[in-house]
Amino acid sequence: MKAVMITFDQAHYERIVDVLDRLNCRGYTSWPQVTGRGSVDGEPHHGSHAWPSMNSAILTVVPDERVASLLARLRAFDAESPRLGLRAFTWTLDSEGV
Amino acid sequence: MSIYSGAVKRPIMTTLCFVAVVVLGLFSLRTLPIDLYPDIESNTLMVMTTYQGASAADIEQNVTRPLENVLNSVNDLKHITSKSRENISVITMEFEYGKDIDVLTNDVRDKLDMVSSAMPDDAETPIIFKFSTDMIPILLLSVQATESMPGLYKILDDAVANPLARISGVGSVSISGAPEREIHIYVDPARLEAYNLTVEQISAVVAAENRNIPGGVFDVGSDTYSLRVQGEFTSSDQMADIVVGSFGGKNVYLRDVARIDDSLEERAQVTYNNGERGAMIVVQKQSGANSVEISNKVLKMLPSLQKRLPSDVKLGIIVDTSDNIRNTINSLVETVMYALLFVMIVVFIFLGRWRATLIICITIPISLIASFIYLAITGNTLNIVSLSALSISIGMVVDDAIVVLENVTTHIERGSDPKQAAIHGTNEVAVSVVASTLTLIAVFFPLTMVTGMTGVLFRQLGWMVTIMMIISTVCALSLTPMLCSLMLRRVNHHGKVFTTLYGPIEKALDAFDAGYAWLLGKVTSFRTLTIIFCLATFVGSLFLMKHVGTEFFPTADDGRLSVSLELPIGTRVEIADEVTSRLVRQWREQYPEIQVINYTTGSASSDNVFASLQDNGSHIVSMNIRLTDPGLRDRKITEIANLMRQDLLAYPEYKKAQVKVGGNMGAMGGEASIDFEIYGYDFEETDSVAAAMKRMLEGLEGTADVRISRADYQPEYRVDFDREKLALYGLNLSTAANVLRNRINGSTASRFREDGEEYDIKVMYAPESRTSIADIENILIYNNAGQAVRVRDVGKVVEHYTPPTIERKDRERIITVSTIIRDVPMSLIAEQALEKIDKMDIPQGIQIQLAGQYEDQQDSFRDLLMLAVLILILVYIVMAAQFESYTYPAIIMSSVMFAFSGVFIILWMSGHTLNVMSLIGAIMLIGIVVKNGIVLIDYITLNRERGMSVKRAVVLGGRSRLRPVIMTSLTTILGMVPMACGTGQGAEMWRPMGTAVIGGLTFSTILTLLFVPVMYCVFAKTGIRNSRRKFRKSHLKNATI
Repeated sequence: MKAVMITFDQAHYERIVDVLDRLNCRGYTSWPQVTGRGSVDGEPHHGSHAWPSMNSAILTVVPDERVASLLARLRAFDAESPRLGLRAFTWTLDSEGV
Repeated sequence: MSIYSGAVKRPIMTTLCFVAVVVLGLFSLRTLPIDLYPDIESNTLMVMTTYQGASAADIEQNVTRPLENVLNSVNDLKHITSKSRENISVITMEFEYGKDIDVLTNDVRDKLDMVSSAMPDDAETPIIFKFSTDMIPILLLSVQATESMPGLYKILDDAVANPLARISGVGSVSISGAPEREIHIYVDPARLEAYNLTVEQISAVVAAENRNIPGGVFDVGSDTYSLRVQGEFTSSDQMADIVVGSFGGKNVYLRDVARIDDSLEERAQVTYNNGERGAMIVVQKQSGANSVEISNKVLKMLPSLQKRLPSDVKLGIIVDTSDNIRNTINSLVETVMYALLFVMIVVFIFLGRWRATLIICITIPISLIASFIYLAITGNTLNIVSLSALSISIGMVVDDAIVVLENVTTHIERGSDPKQAAIHGTNEVAVSVVASTLTLIAVFFPLTMVTGMTGVLFRQLGWMVTIMMIISTVCALSLTPMLCSLMLRRVNHHGKVFTTLYGPIEKALDAFDAGYAWLLGKVTSFRTLTIIFCLATFVGSLFLMKHVGTEFFPTADDGRLSVSLELPIGTRVEIADEVTSRLVRQWREQYPEIQVINYTTGSASSDNVFASLQDNGSHIVSMNIRLTDPGLRDRKITEIANLMRQDLLAYPEYKKAQVKVGGNMGAMGGEASIDFEIYGYDFEETDSVAAAMKRMLEGLEGTADVRISRADYQPEYRVDFDREKLALYGLNLSTAANVLRNRINGSTASRFREDGEEYDIKVMYAPESRTSIADIENILIYNNAGQAVRVRDVGKVVEHYTPPTIERKDRERIITVSTIIRDVPMSLIAEQALEKIDKMDIPQGIQIQLAGQYEDQQDSFRDLLMLAVLILILVYIVMAAQFESYTYPAIIMSSVMFAFSGVFIILWMSGHTLNVMSLIGAIMLIGIVVKNGIVLIDYITLNRERGMSVKRAVVLGGRSRLRPVIMTSLTTILGMVPMACGTGQGAEMWRPMGTAVIGGLTFSTILTLLFVPVMYCVFAKTGIRNSRRKFRKSHLKNATI
């Protein structure tokens, strides 16, 4: 199992949840409004007067075999509208917990 | 869930909500009556007290003064004026506008009760009379007749006045100019003397003969019958055979001493329509009824009434006040439509996408229609004010939608899905949209709190615009994002035609952006120069203020003139008639614009309510003229009035002449006039000051129709009875006086009944026996013993002058000298006159004051300036709250300065004056122009927060905000253009307002685009320097520690 942390412009939210459904990843945790900025480029998402846009974040734990296809779809979204901003990070889990 | 995400997620609900509002609005529109002005409640009460036999001075001393002293303590009283005439005292109380007149009436009644014991015993109880605009007739109909003239009154009464009076909403219908039937018994004094008879005896006999008396009931066999004596005359000839006495054992018949004349009343008003004898029918409405509706009903009824009249009687229309209302409203509706079209074109040119244009323009009808609901709920009408409010708002209601749409588009361009873009895009700008609406509300809401006359007018404007702004904001936050989510596309495909057509426009706009950015770069480098230039223009424009005159309200051209002419007192009606018909002939030839010219002269009978309220008498002529529509003639109404005034100079027969523009609209719409009030007790002194004032005013350029309010001493014959001699003959004064009255004025003996109508039977001397002083001196007076004595034996007939009416204002005697002002600003005449008054030699105890429209104007201007200050403060507060800063709002406020410059410049260039309408325009500008500044500063600070340098932030911010600024300004300016250029009826009223807004907004937009960025640079630089200094200080301190 791997944990996938996706942070993205909140406009993407519905599409990403949709992708998770399609890939049969049922469980996830989301933060509808988070702020932050990218390491390289793109507009910061601060929810402030200067940078009014906001991000959302989704943390989901998916079986190893689905990670690749999930990332592929996310990459496609990002390529489609690069100015919105979408990043995903994965890490391996030690155990599955409770 | 916020309002916009709710709206985007539930498009059907959102759509239907707005559909419901529109349906409700359209339904309200259908029920809205049309009127010229909002309901102006009356603010005047009159108290009339009669005291028979008292002279003007007695009335003043014993009736008017005690009443005034008590009535003066009624709350909210603005002015108390009075007229003390022989036998009657009339006190007029003017209250502040907007007070409940019913409550005030009760207060006045209470005060009158308090003073009733102090009144002279013979004085009658004071009558309170409410005066309101409802008294102004809504329709004046002309009647032309030839053969039917003798019976015209009855014909009109039966066939026209009664049916019209039955229409619901019609208050009263009075006929003037058609004399009523009257039966005269003209006695010959010589024969009366020969038979030892008197007028009183004949009256008594006629009255006794003309009776029907029931005789009771009696039984005959099994039946009961009633008994009657049927003595009433069935025709007037029967009277000739009455036995009035006996002489030498023979019967004296009425025909032996008198002749019976079955004709018309002797003294009546005569009316001429277009030079032909006829009558006038005056239709007044019931209080609160709608003029247009009633006039429609009356006009609809006229053709059927015409059919029932004899063929020589023709009905026509002299004045139809609703005509003016309808035309005015129609031209305003046209204005609103043009404004809508212009705004749509501007939006399309700047956005270049028809979907976006549609989304934005849909907010216009919704906000406008929603405001009709407010009008319907509050019982208001569609009038000049409410429609101007629509016209003003068209350009402003789109602003919020534009801001929302722009931001949503940016989101879509960044790659968002339209639905998400709509929600998040709206979310980002929601606060600033609400804030900018608040600045506008800060301007328009205080308008609802203005007091006085202007308050009555602009309360509705304030409410309407406030409501429309709120609706448009709600629309921008719900309907606009919803429509964006449905209609906007991520990729725009444009057709070939579109590209070829729109391509050049886009290129031009891009070039404009670039040019502005270049200019901005320059001015921010030469900051001091720019600031000096801008301030110099502002200060320079203030000098223009001296050349822009002021007035109260612009003169409206409603195609109506009223002329009042006065011949010397006591002139016979025939003379007045002859001179006036000559004048009418001349005018009809000279002015082809005249459609109908109607005049009335003679004293009104007391049962004609409308006529007896106005000045009337055998020497007074009142004329109504209707001109063709303003669009159809070259000469303006004021030009024609001026020419007429000059024509009148060639008629020395007229002692006083006045040509009034506009009907009886009062302060609004008529020509400007100034009243000079001369306070002082002594008649002679005040008379001479008034005469000097009149000469002085006539010497000034631009005055016309200078009038002195105090009438002349009236010549009359008076019989001074010697009481001792009267007593010697066993007579008293009132017996003797009544004898005189019965012979000259006649005594009403009885009434003649025919077809359910009653006509007076009057016994009097034959006209040929009452033409000289000798005739009066020869009148015989009988005492109880039957002895006769002639008037000349017990008294003298002498010529006298009665003192004029004593006028008072605020409990002091007053004469008013008033002048009409033409072609020059009111302020100029007032200044010149005051200067000359200073040099005049005025006796001690006499004060001269400016009043009338000038006073109203000063009051209104003071109110409006106070309002402007209040609005400036409120707008500053809203902005300071939004920016969380004291400096930025101050920078933005500087654009208001240029708005006022622009107003002065355009008023000076276009030759308009500063009046209430243009001042309101200037006040509205406060809210409109700061919006530009807000948009600029907001984006510049945003750039700074994004880390740009001051200058780069200013140039880039300016460049990117140029289009929205120009676009919102252009929508407002073009929305006003139809108002400023209107030529329809009534357009004179709102033209100054439109002009002021256009001038102020154009000028301030141009200067704001330069001045505000430069000021921002200056303040930002100082701010940075200060913070660096502070940082250095604290740094140094830290270093030393």
